[in-house]
Amino acid sequence: MKSITKILTAVLIGSTFLVAPVLAAKVPAGTNLTADQTFTYRVGDEHSSVDPQIVEDVSGSELVRDLFEGLLNQDALGNLIPGVAESWEASNGNQTYTFKLRKDAKWSNGDAVTANDFVYAWQRLADPETASAYAWYMEIMSLENAKAIIAGEKEPSELGVSAPDDYTLVVNLTAPLPYFAAMTTHASTFPSPQKVIEEFGNEWTRPENIVSNGAYVLTEHVPNERSVRERNTMYWNDAETVINKVTALVINEESTALTRYLAGELDRTEIPAGEYPRLKKEYPDQAISFPRLCSYYYSFNVSDSGPEAFKDERVRQALSYALDRNVVTEQVLKGGQFPAFTFTPGTTANFDAPDVAFGQITQAERDAKAKELMVEAGYGADNPLKFELLYNTNEDHKKVATVAAQMWKQKLGIEATLVNQEWKVFLEVRGKQDFDLARGGWCGDYNEASTFLDLMTTPSGYNDGKYSNAELDKLMTDAKTADDPSANYTRVEEIMAEEMPIIPVYHYTGVYMMSEGIIGSWPVKNVEQNWYSRDLYKVE
Amino acid sequence: MFKFILKRIGIAIPTLLILIIFSFTLMHSAPGGPFTSERKLPEQVLANIEAKYGLDQPYYKQLTNYVVGIVTKGDFGPSFRYKDRSVNDVIAQGFPVTLKYGIWSFIVAVSVGVSLGIVAAINHNSVFDYLAVGFTIGAQVLPNFVMAPILVIIFTLWLGWLPGGGWNGGQWQYLIMPVIALSTSYMASIARIMRSSMLEVLNSNFIRTAKAKGLSNRQIIFKHALKPALLPVISYLGPTFVLMITGSVVIDIYFSTGGIGREFVNAALNRDYSVIMGITILMGILTITFNMVVDILYAWIDPKIRY
Repeated sequence: MKSITKILTAVLIGSTFLVAPVLAAKVPAGTNLTADQTFTYRVGDEHSSVDPQIVEDVSGSELVRDLFEGLLNQDALGNLIPGVAESWEASNGNQTYTFKLRKDAKWSNGDAVTANDFVYAWQRLADPETASAYAWYMEIMSLENAKAIIAGEKEPSELGVSAPDDYTLVVNLTAPLPYFAAMTTHASTFPSPQKVIEEFGNEWTRPENIVSNGAYVLTEHVPNERSVRERNTMYWNDAETVINKVTALVINEESTALTRYLAGELDRTEIPAGEYPRLKKEYPDQAISFPRLCSYYYSFNVSDSGPEAFKDERVRQALSYALDRNVVTEQVLKGGQFPAFTFTPGTTANFDAPDVAFGQITQAERDAKAKELMVEAGYGADNPLKFELLYNTNEDHKKVATVAAQMWKQKLGIEATLVNQEWKVFLEVRGKQDFDLARGGWCGDYNEASTFLDLMTTPSGYNDGKYSNAELDKLMTDAKTADDPSANYTRVEEIMAEEMPIIPVYHYTGVYMMSEGIIGSWPVKNVEQNWYSRDLYKVE
Repeated sequence: MFKFILKRIGIAIPTLLILIIFSFTLMHSAPGGPFTSERKLPEQVLANIEAKYGLDQPYYKQLTNYVVGIVTKGDFGPSFRYKDRSVNDVIAQGFPVTLKYGIWSFIVAVSVGVSLGIVAAINHNSVFDYLAVGFTIGAQVLPNFVMAPILVIIFTLWLGWLPGGGWNGGQWQYLIMPVIALSTSYMASIARIMRSSMLEVLNSNFIRTAKAKGLSNRQIIFKHALKPALLPVISYLGPTFVLMITGSVVIDIYFSTGGIGREFVNAALNRDYSVIMGITILMGILTITFNMVVDILYAWIDPKIRY
């Protein structure tokens, strides 16, 4: 499961307190809209919930962003724009934030959306009673008393958020966070209707009970089959919303979904690995590939439980060099993915990707270098390197692992055994350093390099290979308080290219079929892919 | 007979209990838990969640609480994955779907399978017999995960006659492909069993006697041969019926029907303990019940069997 956290969303934006003009769907003049403004898309699995404080998966958050509206939203480029809050202001050295709410925001039952709805929702998120998996979000937002409330030591009412009047929300932080405002685009900070929750309990999110304040209301939900949301006439900007009805269909199999797309049942579906070139040729106006904020890599286990060979930098380098990324992206996946020589994707905001040396030479040169390194490290035909390559059970991971093992075998005489495990077993095994080389995939929680590079620090809970480098740790710590941390990030990537604790393989792309009507309004440039149905429209 | 049923129920209860203990233990010993995820939860947050679901208690206590909850309140607990639904909700939503396409598939499989088997047996070694045998072998070896996408390509993509998936309250358009995909291989098995058992019966002495007495073919088949020939089919039908109505992962995945088969597999992958247990118990009860029904049917059909 991919996380939905966005902590910073471009640190830059946090310092901008100007009120940008608000428009929902920005339909260019002269656009010919179709009469049928419906949008139907495929989701791979049933969502976990549509309760803003409970939801924890991507498809659920997509629903929540349509059904509810938080203080701030993102535009098609990922920039911050007003939502329920019309303006906001930081004071007390970025430790107090005051949001002014719009007076015309309403719940779908006609009640006004007030600052108290946010106070209630945020307290609810931190309350141990709610047992939200995202309770920690209040903690990293640095809200006063959040930690103690989560630990059950203080009452939720003591959380550092208050409503001096119905349309003013004041937040007190324990640390100066210049990017705090950007954190309010996260679904877990959206308001929730206290009266309705108290009346219906866990069942308040059912279509017959739910009251929401977003551009849409939930009108139908058949678990594991479909959920339907329709225009909320009470929404303050309903006049500028174009799409009338949005349907999410649960279709587990990508290939089945593609068939149904081709039969005209869907407006959007994922393209299975390897199918993009064919579909692009047949449907040039519908097949689309755009960069995502995600990286695919292999982690070396350099802890005590890992193989002795991987403690040798030369072996790690050799394995990384000999892996021809172009074969993986162009012949296996074929979805426009980018070969990776750094962990952080090049599209990340404010990230100045270093020209790491091994990325600048040809594959033939890398192969030659890899052979030399293996000989230097003492491996050869009479003493071949053997290890296990662990990945979670999945056809695409298997394909990548197979070609990787083949390349290592052919070029370096290495015998890599492929081992696959079911997801939860895999997570447990990898987390316990019970592996040699393991697959990893990471999507940025926010559009900034530290969302990736923090994983490589010694204390990180996600540093599965237990790599440790004091200089790197210091650079990352300094980055937190630096005015411009991009030089630190560049240096960290250089260290990683040298010591090679992981093998970056490729940077993901979003590879979709989208109906010709909808494709033009899709926010392909929002690398976090936070999309809102109210911004979409369908053309003739 | 009444005593027999009582006895079977008496055995069923300890059987279910063993099933519960066994599955519960097996499930808890699987690596990873319901809240294991790529983004590890902070300890305190995890502790709060585990406390809410009672996972912080010792294993034996969780088990007894669980059993007590079922026995006293009929409460199978909340789903760990779907926060706004209980296990009872999950089953109440998914089981009717599975039941509907399962029963229809059963009806199709039995009626077509039995008829095909009888006709093939009567016309033994004729062209029809060969065709029927050829068809059933083909249908048996074609797995439904191959057949399902082929059906979708033909009926949805090429012909445009049927929707490519979904359920929509189980309207007939949405029912056709799942039923074909689920029933075909069972139908083929039934036809083959029916054919061979019919052939055996038709060659037995009492049929020869009936022929000698000058009875018509129709009388021989329907009055004398059918009942004994059905016995092997019936013993096959008991477990088959349970399999069909407790869901098919393949059908649920390929036709997005939202049935309980996919739910079961999902629950196992998500370590959604309470849903796994709920569906396991449901399947256990159904299996025990229908095995009993088969035994009763047996006694009714075969005078040699008495309980």
